Amino acid sequence: MNAPPLKKEIDLTITRVFYAPRPLVFKVWTTAEHLARWWGPKDFTVPAVATDFREGGTWRSCIRSPEGQDYWARGTYREIVPPSRIVLSFTWEEEDATDTLITVTFEEVTGGTRLTFHQVPFPTRESRDSHAEGWGECMDRLLAYVATHREAAQ
Amino acid sequence: MQKTSWLNYRRVKCGMDRLSSTLSALADPTRRAIIARLAAGEATVNELAAPFDMSLPAVSKHLKVLERAGLISRGRNAQWRPCRLEAGRLKEIADWVERYRRFWEGSFDRLDSYLDELQRDGKPDHI
Repeated sequence: MNAPPLKKEIDLTITRVFYAPRPLVFKVWTTAEHLARWWGPKDFTVPAVATDFREGGTWRSCIRSPEGQDYWARGTYREIVPPSRIVLSFTWEEEDATDTLITVTFEEVTGGTRLTFHQVPFPTRESRDSHAEGWGECMDRLLAYVATHREAAQ
Repeated sequence: MQKTSWLNYRRVKCGMDRLSSTLSALADPTRRAIIARLAAGEATVNELAAPFDMSLPAVSKHLKVLERAGLISRGRNAQWRPCRLEAGRLKEIADWVERYRRFWEGSFDRLDSYLDELQRDGKPDHI
């Protein structure tokens, strides 16, 4: 069977160390003024961003590509524990977009702050049999299993 | 490798509806285990059912969900013909993740520069 190579994760985990104090790294997630300065991929601008940074509050942003195409996204803050943790949903404003759940944690490390970002899809279409909370870990194990078996089979 | 712009994924008419049905199908640990088993090769329904403390009809229900989501294909005579993984769907998910990865890696690169700038300019780091 010729299957294309599978990525290691379906849930997305990114870890970065920023050479800045934790309160500052946390702070730049919390206001529209700060977010507008870093949100979005390389060479995109942020024509609009709004945030009601509190548990249950919402956020909305527009990013604009170098070609001038606008992409809107929105979400809700599920959990906020300053200065260590933010849990928010993130959904593109497109037809049939899948919701995702993002957890960002901030830890002090020597010289700066480690930011750990974790995003999982949060399918809401079929709520029966949904095990969305365990999604990230289980999918990780599944794909590790698959990767192992693919190597063994070669 | 073909350079795919971040934008192209969004415009591809693959149907996000299909993607979210794929993701829903995989939101169940039994079905994920079935997919994992099929990634190692084709299997019959009986072979797939073996590891689970579950009746054959219960396993068949899971297989139907996976088949509707396009993740597996089955022979017509479902009892006897093997189930096969349709890895194209899993690749769609991988591509979907990749789009997010580009968004966030790009954002964190910009965040890195922005934090440098804030500290260089001596702006206060408190509320």
